[in-house]
Amino acid sequence: MTYKTDTDINEISINTDVLVIGGGLTGVKSACEIASSGYKVILAEKGTELGLKNSEDQDLRDLIKKAASDSNIDVFTGTNIVSSAGTPGDYSIWLLKKDELFEKKVGSIVVATDSSIKVLDGEYGLSLSDKILSQSQIESILASDKEKIKGKNIAILAGFAQEGNPIVTQRVLNSVLAMEKITGCTVFVYINNIKVASSGLERLCKEGRDKGAIYFKLTDTPEITETDGKIKVTFIDPVLRNRLEAEHDLIVIEEQITADPINKKLAELLRIDLDSQDFLQKENVHMFPVRTNREGIFVAGLSRRVCNLANAWVDVDNVVLEIKKFLGNGTKKIPADKAVIDAEKCTICLTCYRCCPHGAIFWEGDKAVISPIACQGCGICASECPMNAIQLGGCNDSFISDEIKAKTESAASKPNIIAFCCENSAYEAGLMAESFKMQIPEGLNIIKVPCAGKIDLDFIMSSFAQGADGVLVMTCHTGNCKSEKGNIFAGWRVAEAQSKLDVIGLEKERLAFVTLASNMGKDFCRIVNEMEERLKKLG
Amino acid sequence: MNIELKKKVMVVGGGIAGLTAAWELSKMNVDVHIVEKTCFLGGHAVKLCCKATEECQQCSACSAEKMLKNVVNEPEINIHLSTEIEAINRNGNFQISLNKSPEYIDSRLCTNCGACFEKCPEQGAILQGFSKNNSPLYGILEEKISLIKDFCKDICPEGAISLDKKGSSENLDVDAVILAAGFQPFDPEIEGTYGYNKFDNVISGMDLEEALRQNGCAPRPSDGKKPEKIAFIQCVGSRDERLGNLWCSQVCCPYALRMAEVLKNQEPETKIFMFYMDIQNTGNKFPIFYEKCKSDIEFIRNIPIDIIPVENNRVKIRYLNDNDGSAIIEEFDLVVLSIGITPGEDNNKLSKIFDVALDKDGFISNDNKLSKSSTSNRGIFVAGTAGGPKNIADSMANAGQAACEVLNYLEGKEPIQ
Repeated sequence: MTYKTDTDINEISINTDVLVIGGGLTGVKSACEIASSGYKVILAEKGTELGLKNSEDQDLRDLIKKAASDSNIDVFTGTNIVSSAGTPGDYSIWLLKKDELFEKKVGSIVVATDSSIKVLDGEYGLSLSDKILSQSQIESILASDKEKIKGKNIAILAGFAQEGNPIVTQRVLNSVLAMEKITGCTVFVYINNIKVASSGLERLCKEGRDKGAIYFKLTDTPEITETDGKIKVTFIDPVLRNRLEAEHDLIVIEEQITADPINKKLAELLRIDLDSQDFLQKENVHMFPVRTNREGIFVAGLSRRVCNLANAWVDVDNVVLEIKKFLGNGTKKIPADKAVIDAEKCTICLTCYRCCPHGAIFWEGDKAVISPIACQGCGICASECPMNAIQLGGCNDSFISDEIKAKTESAASKPNIIAFCCENSAYEAGLMAESFKMQIPEGLNIIKVPCAGKIDLDFIMSSFAQGADGVLVMTCHTGNCKSEKGNIFAGWRVAEAQSKLDVIGLEKERLAFVTLASNMGKDFCRIVNEMEERLKKLG
Repeated sequence: MNIELKKKVMVVGGGIAGLTAAWELSKMNVDVHIVEKTCFLGGHAVKLCCKATEECQQCSACSAEKMLKNVVNEPEINIHLSTEIEAINRNGNFQISLNKSPEYIDSRLCTNCGACFEKCPEQGAILQGFSKNNSPLYGILEEKISLIKDFCKDICPEGAISLDKKGSSENLDVDAVILAAGFQPFDPEIEGTYGYNKFDNVISGMDLEEALRQNGCAPRPSDGKKPEKIAFIQCVGSRDERLGNLWCSQVCCPYALRMAEVLKNQEPETKIFMFYMDIQNTGNKFPIFYEKCKSDIEFIRNIPIDIIPVENNRVKIRYLNDNDGSAIIEEFDLVVLSIGITPGEDNNKLSKIFDVALDKDGFISNDNKLSKSSTSNRGIFVAGTAGGPKNIADSMANAGQAACEVLNYLEGKEPIQ
């Protein structure tokens, strides 16, 4: 049996304007593409102008002109986001331009922040000088002042002060090729892992080498000293395995590309999750490529990871698809009872507001309200609400109680195991085990839930009360929950239930919390059989 | 909605890129046809295992599973299995001639009971899909039909198998095409000195993926015992000037690191060595993940030249000591060759039929420096690894881009550049 999903449908009108935050190339391109799909765009840039200043590329300059002149794009430069409110399809954003504070209403938001560049000279115990240049400095010399490095012996240092990535590598490789074109330039590259995992980089690397660049691939940071106007690099040669010294006129220090410092503030303002490196998207496959934990808010380009322009453009196209799917023609059909709060029971304790991973819960007067558009139906709020005031339409408490009752009563075979399975992972793994004819205990009874976040403590305890010999709570792996935290909540509830089992004299081993993915049929099989074995021993 | 007005798009290839592109287009009210030459959807991606340890490592194998489920449950997507493209003619739109192999197993009657597969006397004549979302879950290998004629007469309790069916031709008029024919995993036999297919305990990364997916563990092929000492050899078939493969396959370091961590997590006592040139990143979390790998795995910056069998089905690998250059010989229970991505076997054929250029390496070339989905022929788009090495997440994103650009093309929009 499965919970019903075809409830009454409400038609909701939504705002179809889009706010694009960040007027860099990704933001500008997003604005142009979204506008050309028929939506009005507000493009907010904190700096004084759009795009990259002095972009050499004519196409990119044209793109920026197009954004500035498109009647469907309202450009606000020198403008910061100061606060946001509302729900998907109806966001209110307060913008500050100089001293003027104003509100804009939009249906959807695209975040296209920049990245930040840090020179790693300090990490090498050096400081920039006329002989110690940063990657950006050498790039600008190569672009406009080539004479300056004619006849020089130049060393590039990369991959020791950071692990790096293909963008860092590409900058190095491009500089190598450009230097080789300059009369009398000799190029040495001291590098750790060469990050060639991007289209064309292996070829570029070979080209540089073929033209004469000398590579020393090292695992330990070379020692760098400056004497008599020369830079001396001392290192263990990996081929000859002896200590070598080399002198260079100039040394180029790698740069690290990190998340835009504004991301932290935007994450707070827009209530979207940051990842471990301060990018604006959790490393969660359900979000890839451009979604965030909040419906209608999307991320593109450098706001979500270090990438080149071609990859940022891939994001832009995906943002356009998401926007079209989300905004459509301005009406959305949404199930009427996805998750509903009983105003009589609600004491406005804020639990639901705090635990909702999708920012779907807000306040209207003196009661909590769930935005049906924002709600993803995970049920975390319903299970956490201390007043039991929230019910999911399809998978409500009485439905699950009936399931538990039916499955404990009808248990033909012992031991009777109730397995609460997240429909996104463990439930699918169970189906896989079944399809591939894996041996499953006869006493296993699966109860499907929309997310492990909807597995109440009560469900676990009442399963035991009604005669289950064992209970499994089977969720997604940490970091793979569609609602980010559903599995974490489930884990806490299992820990709590285990301590209660102790009190009532049941063995803790009768209850287990496990994580699985949809493609782990064999592991599903192993886990349920191990549980059966354990229960048989316990009797 | 007037059905007549729907635009029609053909997606060539039912791997993760093709599935994603088809799924996105179907959400945009486009009539989509997936043409897949094998009898199963899902391509390589649905053969891959989950690489979570205590936590998800973002390999995206589960996303492929989910996308396959989406597509097979979407009645608006037309699926042509065991179908090849014969020719196209362009006259405004594209007129495609398809060559369909017979549907030996009737998908309407098959209940996926598996009787035919389990009892089949000829190994490999009846095939099983990799995903439970393959429908039907079984297929018949055309080349082996004559060997199982009698067996198939009454093996199926539903009468779903009929080997007398004939193939058919079908014409399809479409407004645009997405080429998502995928890649060919590098054939490790080409690196003869590694003894793949000669020594039982030398397997490929793909073999390890399938073993972990199907068995949840990786026993030694020779005796089914748990390997205590495992070597991964990176860059097999990639970054190899000798072979003319001047590209990084982008997926092998991530899958090798992640699977090494899975094995280590299952059996903390396992010793794992990784022979490499340069370690490539896994994602945003790489700096944290790599630190963990460094504490679990012995990294050796040296690509071994050969693998030599020794007793007890073990193999030995010789490499150079990092400190003094002396030769070290190490024995292993299992060696995993981290094979890479090479151009799809049909790329040449597709290039001719669809008049699209290939790049120097044999992947379908993108004509625009900033679009990874447009080709040299307007109206024909490329998605996924047909256009060059990509992981699952990138293939899906690239497929989204292709879908978006197809929509722009169908609406007659000029690309904004």
